[in-house]
Amino acid sequence: MKIKFFNLRTISVALSTLVLTVSCSDDDSISIEEEKQENNRWITVAAASMGDNPGDGNGGTLIYALNSEDAKDPTKSIAPFDNGLIVPSNRTARLQSSEDGNTIFNISYAGDTGGNYTKYEVKGRNEFTRVGSEINISQYVGSAPRWVKLFDGDKTGAAVYVSTENIIDDKGTDDVTDDTYVRTNAKIGVVTLDLENSLIKEFQEHDVALSPEEEAAGYYISRIDMPVLNEAGDKLYIGARVSKVDPLTAERDTDYEILGSKTIVLDYPSLLNPSVITSTVGIGNTNGYRSINAFLYNGSVYQANQADPNGSHILKIDSNNEYDNSYIFNLDEALGVQDAYILAWRPAANGKAVIAYRHAGSAEGVAGAQGFFALADLNAKTAQKIEAIPYDPDFYLFQYQGFVVDGTEIYLTQAPVGKNGNIYVVETETGEITKGAELVNKEGSHFIGTF
Amino acid sequence: MNLKLLLFAFTSTLFVYSQGNRNRVSGQIFDSLGQPLFGATVVLDKNTKATVTSDDGFYVFNNLSQGTHVLKASFMGFFSKSIEIRFEANEINQEVTQNFFLKENVEALQEVNIQSKTEKRRIEEKGFSVSVLETKEASQRNIQTNELLKTSVGINIRQNGGLGSDVQYSLNGLSGNAVRIFIDGIPISLYGSSFNLNSIPPAMIKRIEVYKGVVPGYLADDALGGAINVILHKGTKTNLNTSVSYGSFNTFTTNMNGLYRFKESGFTVKASGFYNYSDNDYKVSGRSIVVNGLGGVQTPITARRFNDAYKSIGAVAQIGFTNVKWADQFFIGITGSDDYKEIQHGVFMTTIPYKGRFMESDALLTSLTYQKKNIFLDGLDFNVHGLYGKRNRVVNDTTAIAYSWNGERAIDFRGNEFEYAWGSQQEGGPTLTKIERNVASVRTGLSYAINEHHKILINHFYSQIDREDSDALQSVLENTFVGTRDLQKNIFSATYEVQAFADKLKANLFGKYYQQKTVNIDPSIVSDANGNNQIVDEIITSSTTNNGYGFALSYTFLPNITIITSAEKAIRLPDETEVFGNDGDNVVANPSINPEQSDNYNFGFRFGRFEIKKHDFSIATNFFTRNIKDRIGLPIENSLNVNDETILYVNQGSGTSKGIEAQVNYVYDANFGFNFNVSRFELKVVNKGIEIDAPNTPFFTMNAGMRYSIKNFIKKQTHLNLFYNAYFTEAFSFLPPQGENTSGAEFFEVPQQLAQDIGVSYTFPKNNFVLSFDVKNIFDATLYDNLSVQKPGRAYYLKLNFFINKF
Repeated sequence: MKIKFFNLRTISVALSTLVLTVSCSDDDSISIEEEKQENNRWITVAAASMGDNPGDGNGGTLIYALNSEDAKDPTKSIAPFDNGLIVPSNRTARLQSSEDGNTIFNISYAGDTGGNYTKYEVKGRNEFTRVGSEINISQYVGSAPRWVKLFDGDKTGAAVYVSTENIIDDKGTDDVTDDTYVRTNAKIGVVTLDLENSLIKEFQEHDVALSPEEEAAGYYISRIDMPVLNEAGDKLYIGARVSKVDPLTAERDTDYEILGSKTIVLDYPSLLNPSVITSTVGIGNTNGYRSINAFLYNGSVYQANQADPNGSHILKIDSNNEYDNSYIFNLDEALGVQDAYILAWRPAANGKAVIAYRHAGSAEGVAGAQGFFALADLNAKTAQKIEAIPYDPDFYLFQYQGFVVDGTEIYLTQAPVGKNGNIYVVETETGEITKGAELVNKEGSHFIGTF
Repeated sequence: MNLKLLLFAFTSTLFVYSQGNRNRVSGQIFDSLGQPLFGATVVLDKNTKATVTSDDGFYVFNNLSQGTHVLKASFMGFFSKSIEIRFEANEINQEVTQNFFLKENVEALQEVNIQSKTEKRRIEEKGFSVSVLETKEASQRNIQTNELLKTSVGINIRQNGGLGSDVQYSLNGLSGNAVRIFIDGIPISLYGSSFNLNSIPPAMIKRIEVYKGVVPGYLADDALGGAINVILHKGTKTNLNTSVSYGSFNTFTTNMNGLYRFKESGFTVKASGFYNYSDNDYKVSGRSIVVNGLGGVQTPITARRFNDAYKSIGAVAQIGFTNVKWADQFFIGITGSDDYKEIQHGVFMTTIPYKGRFMESDALLTSLTYQKKNIFLDGLDFNVHGLYGKRNRVVNDTTAIAYSWNGERAIDFRGNEFEYAWGSQQEGGPTLTKIERNVASVRTGLSYAINEHHKILINHFYSQIDREDSDALQSVLENTFVGTRDLQKNIFSATYEVQAFADKLKANLFGKYYQQKTVNIDPSIVSDANGNNQIVDEIITSSTTNNGYGFALSYTFLPNITIITSAEKAIRLPDETEVFGNDGDNVVANPSINPEQSDNYNFGFRFGRFEIKKHDFSIATNFFTRNIKDRIGLPIENSLNVNDETILYVNQGSGTSKGIEAQVNYVYDANFGFNFNVSRFELKVVNKGIEIDAPNTPFFTMNAGMRYSIKNFIKKQTHLNLFYNAYFTEAFSFLPPQGENTSGAEFFEVPQQLAQDIGVSYTFPKNNFVLSFDVKNIFDATLYDNLSVQKPGRAYYLKLNFFINKF
């Protein structure tokens, strides 16, 4: 046994020496001296390393920047897992970038610095220069904040938090049989931060109610995320997930009727006067997951919903701050699939959008359901699967976060868990797909987008 | 390696080769007045064989080889005595009678070491990968039980703060619930957090045995990675000792142990108690120790922890009989304990420290102990130890007022004092969660020595925990529908011990049978025939049975060179949360979950003791592997389950730990001692065929200790002891290893750490007083547990011990 052990060690030492030698020489050959010209921009690629399980992305988030010309060049190859910057965040970082791609914003998710806001100037490759001072928003919205950047010229970020409490009327007695469930209160906290000067701008808390009938049945807002500004810039919309308790026992229900999709509307920038609007078109959640879930286009906010039993919809909120229930864009119908589920999406300024989704026909891959990309048209309410991108059963888009919009072009990453892939560029006007730089992957890991 | 095959091979070999010679030596040990000494140790030929005298002072060694043998008799408080005996070469089946008369020793302290070393060595040479820790010396110093454990090879302790803070034990890379901790063989989980290794002072403990990977049958439990067994004092000699210690961070600890035995009747009264208190207000700094100002602007500060006080109090009282005809030990007893722990922060030190969050726990238990050697017939030993009682724990977090690291109320970006949106210090809402547990455990052992070479042991272990949760901040309605959990374990083990080849070979084969039953009682509402709602209990039970087996073997193939090897197919049964989930976390039941399994192997050598003139040293080393299967965990969040309201524990993936540990002990002229140990391992988790280094694991540690004794310092009949200890932990990362040319890894790194302690203790004439002074972390090094969780800096402690050995 001792001998076996030593042999194993010797072999592994020899092997790792070999691997080291090889990887060093590799690195030299693919090394690109990244410089950005006037006519192109930085494309920062984000990669999520494996923690315990393939595809869990809990082993560190790495970023690596290359210019858009190289990003479009299939002869180039980048290896963020070998050469990237490890973003200081305990679990998968939720990254945001400035519209011009020159700045990366991060708020640490969990860990000792959870809630810390940091800003980096993109210098190419793994050079990201920390700029500005640090602030921490955990005292307002917790150490694992759900935040996004608002589309106001990279000025503001918004983070949200909700805590819930069951309200029970015990009739002033210890007798449990006369106790009645009244409602579950959802208390939300919303903080806005000045991205330029690293300062807290505003913070407000509110109790948010649903309709009395919904509340009596045990419905309540259990998670909120993905704030977005309306065109006038006077209202902030926040996506919501609705859960339900059993009013008889105050225990969580697992099987219940899902309500119409809901959004919380607040005055902006005061963050006062909350109200809840409900769609009659889509049912299910509007809080997204890691990627921005609602965007302003042509005067209205377009919002994806998730866990819709009829398949994800793109919902429309008009400038009157109410759902436009005449706008019906169902992804199941548009794609001709069942149980379409929008994992991430992003429109360009022309109303054409790239959608990352899964559906009932997705293969069960190593980390979950196989993902696909589609090109959608918000005006025509149509969508086509992008066939020019390869879809491995292990191609997994659940944690997908970022798309770069450069004019009418949208940059995205494609790599199955543990396998190499490429950057792809979608020309949204023509539907033309360009295969770009190779993405070198590592075991159990995946890529989560461009910024 | 096929463990079954190996076991079979060993068993067959052992049965063939256990013939011995028939020579025999026997006798009695008396004190100088001719009273027989019970429990005296008789050692044959430098520890190749040892025995303890029965209540009439009688000892026997059978099957000795021809030639000269040295017998050494020793007893606590007496001078040891060695006598040479001889069996003539040309005769067989010779019988020699050799009695000893031992003289009382005034300097009893020294004798204790000799006595206990024998016991330590005896256990260590059985073939298990075991570290035996003596508490005698530590108990006189300002050393906590956990600090003592830290010095042992192969065990790693992660403690996230000062006195009373959370501790995690890791044995050869396996940690958490893979390591089982016992007090006299009873799981420490029965006592709760008020009576644990944080609160029990070393003075109450006789010794600690740390079994790594392979756990003997008499200590059977579902210990996947090993077991730590704390053995409390079992002595039968009348004595009283007490100590009091005070030091940095307003740390005050005191304890008292006493035993009185009526010589005529054997009636014995034992009591011990402890009280510990510390403010733990040590200084911390670092990236999250900041004060937030206007607009959220941060100012880094050096802060004193302000919500970290710890207080524990506990006592054990026993009455019964010792060394009487019908029992060697018979005690009924009561154990009571209570503790209070303020909680300064969560898993990490973040920018928002807690003030007002604390935990209280208490336990009240009754116990029964019965031990008898040679019950009914010679060689048949019986023991039973049982415990029954109640333990409670309350987490209290009801204030939302925000505090800053400077200990004052925090301000928001506008400059106003504020309260947290979540209504409590820790995110998750106000809580007064109370967990009440009724606990019971019985360990029974029966052993029969067929002859000097063969011994059979049968052991049974039973434990039951009934758990009920409630939260005073929640309504009666909500509390009504919180489930209760019962967990019952029965573990049977059979052990066969053999000594062969003139006791050069010692082997221990064992099999374990595990049985676990978990019961979940969850009230729910059902409509009766008349349409009225009724509260009924939904009762679900889940049972599992499993087998495990293993062996331990030592073989001395040259004088002073011994091979020590052991292996076990170990099991960890799923706990009640893994079977039934946890309502609060939306985890539901998975009654079909399998236990975790691990094939554990140890292979080591012991060189020594070598005695060259005044030098005395020994070296021991061990190689180990652990191959874990069916690890229990929660599945990852993905698009298929992210919107599910519930989740369940599953068996996923495997893991391996392999490494090496070694230790060196050196003594010069019995007054200078040096010991050093090193432990290094690789821990990998394997999931869906992909292997990854487990992050957040200190994989390389070293400890060193030095002691120098000066006799008759200043005054006659005194001892001065000087101590030095060093603890080294190599840097490790919170993340799995990243690519070669990546940057930013330093953010996740827990840096290399070196802690150094010094101490001095002075034994006054007559041995009644020992005064100790210790300085911990003398160079004020920054020490960490988790990412950025800081441990205390330099600290000073003074302790006074007082002993009475005669009334």
